[in-house]
Amino acid sequence: MSWNHDGAGQADATGVEHLDGLYSYALVLTRNHAEAQDLVQETFVRAIPAMSRLCAGSNTKGWLFTILRNVWLNQLRKWRNGPQLIEMEFGDDLANSIVESSKALDDLYVSRLEAEQVRAAIQELPLTFREVIMLPEYEDLSYQEIASVLDCPVGTVMSRLGRARAKLRTLLPATLKRAGSSEVRGAR
Amino acid sequence: MKGCEDYSPTIQLYVDQELSGEELQDFLVHLEECPSCRTELEAEESLSALLHRSRPLYRAPDTLRQQVLQAVESAPASTPYAPVRLRKHVTAVLARPLRAASRRAHVRLALVAAMILLAAGLLLMPGMLEQANATSYIDAAIEAHRGCLNGNLPLEVQSGSPAVVAAWFTGKVPFNFRLPTSPDGSGQGQVYRLTGGRLVNYKGAYAALVAYQMQQQRISLLVASSSSAVAAGGEVVPSGKIDFHYSKHEGFNVITWSNHGLTYALVSSLPGSGRQSCMVCHQNMADGAHFSAHRDETQLGHSYPLRHFSTATLDRHLPHKG
Repeated sequence: MSWNHDGAGQADATGVEHLDGLYSYALVLTRNHAEAQDLVQETFVRAIPAMSRLCAGSNTKGWLFTILRNVWLNQLRKWRNGPQLIEMEFGDDLANSIVESSKALDDLYVSRLEAEQVRAAIQELPLTFREVIMLPEYEDLSYQEIASVLDCPVGTVMSRLGRARAKLRTLLPATLKRAGSSEVRGAR
Repeated sequence: MKGCEDYSPTIQLYVDQELSGEELQDFLVHLEECPSCRTELEAEESLSALLHRSRPLYRAPDTLRQQVLQAVESAPASTPYAPVRLRKHVTAVLARPLRAASRRAHVRLALVAAMILLAAGLLLMPGMLEQANATSYIDAAIEAHRGCLNGNLPLEVQSGSPAVVAAWFTGKVPFNFRLPTSPDGSGQGQVYRLTGGRLVNYKGAYAALVAYQMQQQRISLLVASSSSAVAAGGEVVPSGKIDFHYSKHEGFNVITWSNHGLTYALVSSLPGSGRQSCMVCHQNMADGAHFSAHRDETQLGHSYPLRHFSTATLDRHLPHKG
């Protein structure tokens, strides 16, 4: 899959600024902190030597997400042929990694709680829904870019996304759904 | 004639900004007359806003961040900026040990010649390095500004509140800073307004990109630590304790300055020279009385008033370290 189409530009040529996004995607895939860190490290191990060969205007972000997913798929194949690993429980440990929100300090507690509940609901979704909802909502990838990362048609992305949102709505606490403001989405 | 059920998938496309042209127009017309679709759209936008508020989903642990930064730093330079490559190359060459002790005479002679060149080079080096650093910073600021203009670098926080934007950067960039409130024009509403910010990478560390809007023009402000970013070159105008460097690069007006350990680069396409672009924002400010203006046509050859800001005034109007 070529990433030489319009997308994130070269100002982010090292890809470090996508670290939070890549780590989030790794956690969405693995639901395990140690595995997620290994996955991100392995992604950069593969990406760094190839970065100097990226064409101007290449979509570094989408390219990194694709590498991460491929590394994970390769690992899954190996694991299937070897001893099975048990998925770790998601709980307090994860809550410690919650970042401070962009809200003013007096809103901090409320927004932390809210973010925690959103994360918990997302992690309850099946894998295909978790990743398809994370890429546009948290990483601003377009349908075309998501299709490239997931290696599937754009139509599949659209239908999966619709079902993922519907499912997520059922998992979110009612208080959160009511609190959702009419904040307008920013430009991609 | 399309019914409401036909528009259901379109609502998702609209929320995800995947609609354009005729499809978008068609949907907006339908939305005007369909309360049911408006309700559905509100629910979708509400969910999307909720998810956006919880960004980022997770934050990478500091240990992982350090490891990746080290790996990127130690990799061969992939930067597109020639001056930076030159600097790295020169630094690497200078770091090599000299091994002249056992050389033959002609090698020794060559070494002496090389050392003379090196000494001459060392005299020029601080200026060269400073200029290379300044150019690299300006290039990065222009690249980031372009990314904002063409949508490749979308804002990660969108707010007109300086406090909210500054708070969003807290803990994400290796420094704290505060943003001034946007000044009001004299009776003409806000001269320019803050729109938000995002992280960008500069020399392996995060820098803050702050976005402003002035009528139809977008203005970007890149903020980085002075340990990696330098303001130098161009037309230098001292004001208070700060030297402002005005220059024009690739069709953009760029103003750089350093203050309290941070270096700033303001990039815009505002009309006029670099300095004139600054005046576009400042000449009509409601608190213009704070600015002492006088004409200085001889030094810089401009026929508009130059304003020299007091340190206190600059502190009020410029972003500064928190």
